Parts: sequence; C-alpha cells; structure tokens
Amino acid sequence: MNTVSISFNLNGDPVVADVPRDWTLLKTLREVFELTGAKEGCGVGDCGACTVIVDGDAVNACLYPIPEIEGKQVLTIEGVAKPDGSLHPIQQAFIENNGVQCGFCTSGMIMSAKALLDETPEPEEADIRSAIAGNLCRCTGYVQIIESIEMATKHE
Amino acid sequence: MTNFRYVGKNIPRTLETDKVTGRAVYIDDFKLPGMLYGKILYSSYVNARIKKIDTTQAKALAGVRAVLTGEDIPEVRVGFIKDQTVLKKGRVRQYRDEIAAVAAISPEIAQAAVDLIEVEYEEIPGVFDPFEAMQKEAPLVHEVDARGKPIRSNVLPLPWKFSAGDLEQGRKDSAFVVKDRVSTTWVNQCCMGTSGCVAEFDASNNLTLHNQTNVIFGAKQRIAEYFAKIGLKDKNIRVKNVVVGGSFGTKLDTDIYEFICIQLALKTRKPVKILFTREEEFKALPPRQPAVFDIEQGCDKDGKLTFRHVEAVLDNGAYTSWGATTPSVMMTPISSLYRVENVYFKASCVYTNNIYCQAMRGYGTPQATFAVETSMDRLAEAAGIDPAEFRSINRNQSGDLTPMKLKITTCGLEECIQAVKEKLSWDEKHGKRNGRGVGMASLIHVAGGARVYKSDGHGMRIKVDDEGHVDVISGGTDQGQGSSTVLSQIIAEELGFRPEDISFTIGDSALGLWDAGTHASRHTFIAGNAAIAACKKIRRQILKMATVQLPKIIQFGLKRKKRMDPDFDLPEIDFSLFADPDNLDIQERKVFLKSDPENPYCSVDASQILKQGLHVGNGKSQTVMAEVFYDPPTQMLDREFKGNISMTYAFGTTGVEVEVDKQTGEVKILSMIAAHDVGRAINPTLIKGQIYGAAYTGTGYALTEEIKSLKGKVMNPNFRDYNILTAKDDIPVEAVVVELGDADGPYGAKGIGEPGLVPTAPAIANAIYDAIGVRITQLPITPERILDAIKQKEGDAWCE
Amino acid sequence: MIAYDYLKPKDLAETFKLLDQHGRKAELIAGGTDVMVVVKQSNRSPDTLISLRGIEELRYIRKNDGYHIGSLTTHRMIEKSTLMQNELAALNQGAAQVGSVQVRNVATIGGNICNAAPSADTAAPLMILDAVITLKSRQGERQVPIREFFVGPSETVKEWDEILTEITIPEQMGTYGTAYCKHARRKAMNLPIIGVAVGLSLNTDETIGDARIALTVAAPTPIRIDEAEDFLRGKSLTDDILKEAGLIASSPECCSPRDSLRCEGWYREDMVRVLIPRVAKEAAMNAKSKMNR
Repeated sequence: MNTVSISFNLNGDPVVADVPRDWTLLKTLREVFELTGAKEGCGVGDCGACTVIVDGDAVNACLYPIPEIEGKQVLTIEGVAKPDGSLHPIQQAFIENNGVQCGFCTSGMIMSAKALLDETPEPEEADIRSAIAGNLCRCTGYVQIIESIEMATKHE
Repeated sequence: MTNFRYVGKNIPRTLETDKVTGRAVYIDDFKLPGMLYGKILYSSYVNARIKKIDTTQAKALAGVRAVLTGEDIPEVRVGFIKDQTVLKKGRVRQYRDEIAAVAAISPEIAQAAVDLIEVEYEEIPGVFDPFEAMQKEAPLVHEVDARGKPIRSNVLPLPWKFSAGDLEQGRKDSAFVVKDRVSTTWVNQCCMGTSGCVAEFDASNNLTLHNQTNVIFGAKQRIAEYFAKIGLKDKNIRVKNVVVGGSFGTKLDTDIYEFICIQLALKTRKPVKILFTREEEFKALPPRQPAVFDIEQGCDKDGKLTFRHVEAVLDNGAYTSWGATTPSVMMTPISSLYRVENVYFKASCVYTNNIYCQAMRGYGTPQATFAVETSMDRLAEAAGIDPAEFRSINRNQSGDLTPMKLKITTCGLEECIQAVKEKLSWDEKHGKRNGRGVGMASLIHVAGGARVYKSDGHGMRIKVDDEGHVDVISGGTDQGQGSSTVLSQIIAEELGFRPEDISFTIGDSALGLWDAGTHASRHTFIAGNAAIAACKKIRRQILKMATVQLPKIIQFGLKRKKRMDPDFDLPEIDFSLFADPDNLDIQERKVFLKSDPENPYCSVDASQILKQGLHVGNGKSQTVMAEVFYDPPTQMLDREFKGNISMTYAFGTTGVEVEVDKQTGEVKILSMIAAHDVGRAINPTLIKGQIYGAAYTGTGYALTEEIKSLKGKVMNPNFRDYNILTAKDDIPVEAVVVELGDADGPYGAKGIGEPGLVPTAPAIANAIYDAIGVRITQLPITPERILDAIKQKEGDAWCE
Repeated sequence: MIAYDYLKPKDLAETFKLLDQHGRKAELIAGGTDVMVVVKQSNRSPDTLISLRGIEELRYIRKNDGYHIGSLTTHRMIEKSTLMQNELAALNQGAAQVGSVQVRNVATIGGNICNAAPSADTAAPLMILDAVITLKSRQGERQVPIREFFVGPSETVKEWDEILTEITIPEQMGTYGTAYCKHARRKAMNLPIIGVAVGLSLNTDETIGDARIALTVAAPTPIRIDEAEDFLRGKSLTDDILKEAGLIASSPECCSPRDSLRCEGWYREDMVRVLIPRVAKEAAMNAKSKMNR
C-alpha cells in the first residue's frame, strides 16, 4: 500500500511521518507515535474514547483519515498536562471528584471537556452534557464526570 | 463515631493519575516484542454440521504464522459443565461458535486470513425459545454430555430448587394473592474497553497470561485444568492483569478466546494478542442471563407476606457459563427480600441455539428483584395498602434469620425506605395517576463476601521499606471501582501512615496470595479485613523496632543539637517509657510517645526507625512485613441451598419519580433517590460513584437496552443500535448513604459494588404504573410497549 | 479487506479530473463520518477515496438572495450559526442533533444529503425549506429541487461524476416558522425513529398561510405530506385542526413506515400522528416570534 508523507503539529511539536494512506489518525497516533491515550472503543464514532482535538475541535480520531491531518494542530491527552507533569485543572478535578473509574473513556472525556472549556470557559450543565454526549461511559453514570468538569471551571 | 483521619474521607484517586494522563496501559496498549495478533472465525450458521474446513488460502497469506481448527488442537471440553470445546469440530450450535483461529503479524492480516477460510456447512433446524426447547419434540442442542452419556432433554441437569416453610399453610393464611409473569432479556455489559488478552510461553512452556480477569486464581485453576489435558501438566501459569477497562461480570469466567490465544501462542512460540472489536464484544461475549418468572405471592389482611412461589425459565443458550448459576443468587432476593416464611423457587435452565450468558453486575439479583418487586407492588394494591407502607410492614430487620438461613446482622432497609419516601414526597405524590408517578423497589445483596467457593479468602502482603514506603501486594484486582484508594485509606488509618506512602501491586498470581475474586461486591469487605489484620502485625513490628531504635535516634539528635548549640538545654526525657511498645503510637508516619504526643523531641519519622532497624551492622537487621490470609467464617450453601454465605448483607431502596408521555410512551425520570445501607462509607465520593454508575446501568436495563436476537443472531452489535444512556439522557440521581456500621466489616463497611443496579428497573416500572395505571412486566420498558399497553387499555381515546 | 488510495484535490477542477481518471472505482468522501463507518463495518473499501475536505471554497453559509450553504459546511457550523438559529430554526435543530460534537465537527451537510439515509437529520428540514441542490460536473451544473433528489435508501439522482456543491434555500423561507423533532430512544448518538419537520407561515389574523410538513423514516426516502399541507392552508391554528393534520399524515396514503430493528412500523405511524401537531405548534411559535420581531 502506498504511503502518504504527512507533517503536522502534535502536542506542540512538529512531527513528520510516512503512513499508509488508508490509516486513520487514531491508528497513526497509537502505532507510529505510540500515544495510546486515545482508545478504540468502537472504531466507528459511536463511543468517543478516541477523541482528540484537531485545530481546536474535538473529533473522533477513529474516523479521521490520516491524509487530512496535514498541517493541522493535534492535541491528545498526552499533551494536556503541563510539560513539567503538573496536571491540567480538568485532570485534577477528575482525580479529586471520582470522574475516573475504569478510565477507558477518560482520555476522550477529558479531550471533549477541554474543547468545550477552551471555547466556553463557564458552561451551563446542559452545555457540558451536550459536549460529552458522544463520549460513552459505563462506570460513572456521568454524574461525577459532569461535576468534575464544573469543578475544573472553578479551578481555572 | 471515632474521629478518623482517612476513613470516611473523600481521599482523591491520586493512585490512578496515569488514567487521566493517557499513560495507563490497558490490554489495547500492551505489547511484547515479536507479538502476533490472533483473530477468530465464527460460525456463519446458527446450528449446523461442519462438512469441511479449508484453510489452504489462509495459510498461504503472507504474514500468517498459524491457522488452527478443531483438528489441530486436542479436543478438550471446557466451561462450567464442560459442554463445549475450544475450537468446534463437526458441529456448531450458535453463531458465536469458534471454528478456527489465525495468528499473524498484524490484526489486519489475521482478519484477512480468517476471511479466506472456507467452511462448508449443512444447516440443521435450531430452537430459539426456551419454552419450545422444553417440549419433547424439540431438536436437541446437545446429543451427549461431558461424560459422553446421551442427553434426552434440553433442560440442564442443574439442581435449582429451593423450598422453606409450608407453602400450603401460607396459601391458606392469605387474604390476597397475586400471580404474574415477569420477564427480562439479554443485555450486554458494555465495558468501554473490549475483551482481550496476551498469552506468552517461555522456552519451557510456562505460561504468562496478561488479561483482564477479576478472578486471577480462578483463571489460573481453569487454565491448569486445561493444561493437564493438553500435555502441559505442572507447567507454571502466571495470570497478570493489565489496567482493566471495565468488567461488570465479563471477566469472571475464562472465555473461549483466552484458550484460543493460549493455543495460538503455543503453536507459534510467540506472544499472541487477541483483542475483540466492539462487534465481537456484542456477538461473542456472553451477556446477562435472561429469565422468565412466574411469581405468585400472598399476604394476610394486615399485609404480612404469607408465601412466595416462583418458577423461572432461563434461556441458557447453546453452552454453559456462569449464566446458568444465576438461580443460586436469585435465591437471595426470592427467599430473603422482605420477611416471608413460606417460599418455593425452582429454576430451569434450557439449552437453545441462542447466545449463552454469564455474569453481569448483580448476577441474578436484578432479574429476580424485578419479579419480586413487581409482585410486591401488585400485592400491595390488591391488599389496598400503600406500596411503601406494604414494604415497611414486611421489611427485613437486624437479627433476622431468613428462610435461606442468611443471618441479617445489620439491616438499614427501613431507613432506606423512609429516606426515599421523604425525598420523593411520597405521600403527596403517590396514587395520582396524572401522568406523573412515584415507585420504589428494594434489594438485598451479599455484602460481606459470598462463599461460592470453598475458600472465600483474600491474601494480603504488606511490606514497609526503610524509606517508610508501604507496598501492598494483594491477590485482588481492580476494574475501576477504586479499591486501591479505599484500601489505602484503611491501611493508612490502621498503620498511622499517610495514603501517599502506600503503593499497590495487584492482579498478579505470582506475587499475590489467593483471592476468591473481586466479585460479589466483596473486595472492600474481605480485602479490607485482611488489610486491617496485616496492619496490626506491621504496626506491632514497627513499634517493637521503635523500642530499640527510637531512644537511640532521639539521643543522637539531642547530642548533635547540643554540639551545634552549646546553649541548648537538654530536655528531660524518661527513656524507660520507650521500652514498652504499648507506650508508643504512630500517626502521620511519626512514631511518638503516647503520654507526650506534643513533645517535638520524642516524635520521629517511622522511616528513620525502619532504616536504623534494617542497617544495624550486627547481624540482627530486620525488615517489616506481614502476610495475612482472611477467610470469613461463613458457610457454603447446603444441599437445600441454605446457609449463611456472607458475613453481612446490603440493603437499599431506590425510589423514582417519572413523567410518562401518554401519547408517545416516553418516560422521563424526574428524580431518582438511591438509598443504600453501606454499613460505613470508607470514601463517600467513591461510594456515590458506585451508586450513580449502577443506577444509570439499571435505568438502561429498565428502559433502553436490549440485545436484539433474531433466530440466534445478534442484530444490533453496535452502540448506535444498542442504546446505553448518554450524558444527555439526564437521570437526576441522588445517592443517600445510610451508615449503621456493621460489626464485622472493616470500619463497619459493607460491599456496595452491585447493589445500586438491582432495584432500579422495578422502581421505574412501579413508578410508571403509578403515573398511568399501566404495568409493564417485560424489560426493557420501551415507549412501544408502554404505548401498546395504553392503547389496549384506552382504545381509541389514547390520542385524545 | 480495507485498502484504499486517498486523494486530496485542492479545488473542483482537480476533483473532476480525478473523477474522470478513476471513474466508478472511486468514491467521494467529505467529512467521512458515514463513508469511514461503512468501510469499517463492511471491512471493504472502494479502490480510491477522493476527499472534498480540502476544497475550502465549498464551506460557507451566506444570505444573499436566498440562503446559500456550501456542501462542505459542517453540521457544527450550522448549529452555531446565529443566522441559521434565527431564520432557519428547523435546519439548525436538525444539524444540532446529528451524532455527537465530534461527529458534527467534521460531518458535512452535503455528505448527510448525499448519503441519503432515510433517517438523515437535515433532510426533513431541507424538504420543508424547498431547498435546491446544485450538482456540478465537468459538463456543467444543474439544479435539483430536494423533493426530486432522493430516489431510495442511499440513492439519489446525483451521478457518479457529479459533485453536490451548494444547497440553496429561497429567501422567503426565512419568514416561515419552522421546527424539527427527532424522535429517538436516547437524547444523543441515535438515529431517529421518526423525524418530523414543519414549516408554517401565518396570516395577520394568525390563520395558517402556507404549511409544509416533511417526514423522515416514514418511507424509503424523506417525504413531504401534500395532503396534510393542503388541509392546513387557510385553517386556524387550533388543536383539532393540527390533530387532523397528524391523522391525515399518518394514513397509509401519506406514509408507509416499516418495521425495522430500531422500531416497529405501527409506532412510527402513531408518532407521525402525535408529533405533527406538537412540531406544528413549535413552528407556529417560531412564526409568531418572527412576526413580532
């Protein structure tokens, strides 16, 4: 299979890679860049576990054809904490308020929350519910996730 | 209540920071050098003879390292009653039957090879309804049993029959009797992380299985049994957890894919990973056991229950996993939810060509509780008693011995019922039939272990190193509930250390001591008690070490201070006090003199003592460690299914207020109160997390979730059509935590992992009835079912 | 097996050239949220995917002698557009209820229409808005009224060498009150069991001037219900009148919902009857608020 040469910005660093043209962004992140925070929960955009932020927008990396990433800014869960390792307020809130249980949805959940807060720093509960509606979670009933996101807005 | 430093506090889940930074390694992320990827070929027919399998093309595909069929591996029967083989030979009985497997250098190539395998089938008629399957003329799903004896009926030879008291007398004493048929269907556990494992053999054929089981020693046992039959007897087996992306029952049994993965690794001499796709997760993973109940209950004129008679038919599917054992757990609510002396329960598990079932959060309790609580509501109405009052009249109480011989040590059921009544403004809202309604349902669940195996024990090792760091090695597992955080609170409290001093190594059969499994809501209770016992030993060791080292350290410090500052006045300290460990205490990792806790010269960090105690230079150095195996003094169920299987039992009541749109059949949950007797909340935030999550899954069970099966085929194997609730499906759930404390629980705690789910569906069903006078006795309660019932009741007026 | 070439033309001219080269072996892809799902679920792919995502000139919402929506406009853009919120409420509601934020951020309105799912959330709103679809090919361009665009499930009149470039809505539709209701099992991440869009213009005496009703999942393609619309024109906005419209629309002459995995046909039929009056009321409110503006 022929490959495509792509260059884009990944978590603040410029990167280049030759990737088969039929790969998705998710497969590329996980296999080329070994960033496995974004998960494949369904592979078809139904669960949001693969959510990353591309040019400010939350997207499902599992449905994102890799050739489309050329020149874009990609942020994954691995790029959310500060370089010194200190946690982003959303991450901190998830830890403090039990927003994380099994953790499989957590990366995607935090990315959706971050995309929301970057655009709407003081969201209503309905905005939060809408922003994470595409991120399924089986452990929490979403209650403490929503509380965590609300808590993060106060931290910021 | 004693003022605790960590127990009862909302300690954050700092131990799991890796999960919020994308660093946690799940099975998806786990890789070994040279690792291959396995894929499985499932049957194209639901019930057929296999005429021929041709793997020539698959084997020829570049990158393929092994192709296995039933012909290539020993024919060994596995499973709860050994009614299936790992790869099926000659005959398939369900769509998920595993026929062949491929290992290749990438999952894509493995899948491509699977697609190249050609199978010729000869279809034979199947049976898809358990009641039909029970008929004499029904096609037999199995011809012979595990011993090769012919089978004459699709009904499994399982002994699920319980009886207590005098049913006939109970009937005679009844002023009111109701009888209903209540049914529940298949639902998928929907772990966000799909199933998978990596099998790895060393050069001497010792196995390491990296998997997600919540019963590492049970898995090890099953694999050892399998090994004995494939010529690998006495090989070492190590079962090791990665971070688990949800469990909810799916990781209780050792699934066929795990045996397949082992066979592929054995064949290729390479580590092999099998990871399910979401579609496989829906099609090839056993879901919750469905059941149809015929339940009859009576009460006297005062509303006291007189008898309960339940017969259940369970669609077993084509093979047998833990689903077939759910009746043993259904017995708990059927015999012991509310006081009823005269009880009869019989369950038949019936082979069909449908998907077979296993455990899911609550085991058989949610199914049976839906039956019991539907019937309770109907009986209350027949007797003309408010359903909340009716439940109160019949409530369980502390000190009860139930017909199943469960010893109810502490019971907060009345508190839960009253909390629900108050929070829902029950008296004001009940019985209005104005499109809004309230309903409730309660639960009983084991909460202090569950003696389903002869050992219900848990082994815990704790060591404290010379830096003062505490390593806990537990035979348990964590599937997301936060057990490490909870145990760190118990250990910190007990030791006088801080939670941040404590690390956990869990889910590794080579390091941990036996644990019966992180199931049955038992972990906090059993591991917590083991931890307390281990900490008592550790504490003693540290304090004994302190009797020698503490005076030395203090004297050394004082001397040095004097040397630096000649004007320093040496304090007067009675060093003889240090000789008795009972005079010493530890808090915040500091060892100090009980009689003089504020004295800064008499308080020393435990790490200094540990360091001095280890590095003594005279051949008498000591380390601090303890090992405890805690097996609660409970009983196995006897032949009549009676016995006190758990140290304590959880109770709870869920109350719901709904609004039903009578023209669309849609149900809106206006309020949900989940009140639970948790004994004592070690970490209230984490307990609420368990209750909220369980309530959501329970609401999905009630209203939206269903595996749609058409002649054995799963028709909706994806999230889009399966309908687990999203964050937009707002369920305003409030958790009420009732803390009476249980003498046997660690700091009084009871288990709470499963209870939250159990009463949710019947509470919603009862609220719907209260709102519109229509009772749905079949799950899920879809808008179609509600509207259909409304139309039947109201005729053409439904749309007016 | 999944194996495709992926081409990224920069403009329409290049796209036409690639279509010519690859012929029917190529498939167009926009946001990809449908195409990629089909590829993954079927485990089969076309030889070549030609991506329209780089053609920025097709990403716009404009009002200029009618409403002009470029085919690559994402659902999220329509969801957030105040122009759409204020003037074409039904379309805004339809776009806002597609999938998740993640899907809406990339899924395009052109893709949603070309995919021609009987359940497409923007289809019913576009039907009541009398949208006109512009199809361009090397040979030129043609305009197709949306009522003629859908032929069957996943089938449209668009030829393989044509590209949907713009959706145009007559300016007068901005004066109508419109509303869309997606009836689904869950509040998000679901396809509708039934989709109902209603557009109304009101006379000064608040009787109904014009009425438009469209349904999705009620037939193999999105449909308009002329009989119910005719019935409503000139009538007063009473509960009985609206109920009658629902009854007319749910009759076998007007719609033919079928049983499917997601829902049984009889329920869909009942929901047409129940929801049309509700959505019509919402559309009437929308119309009134426009009149008062």
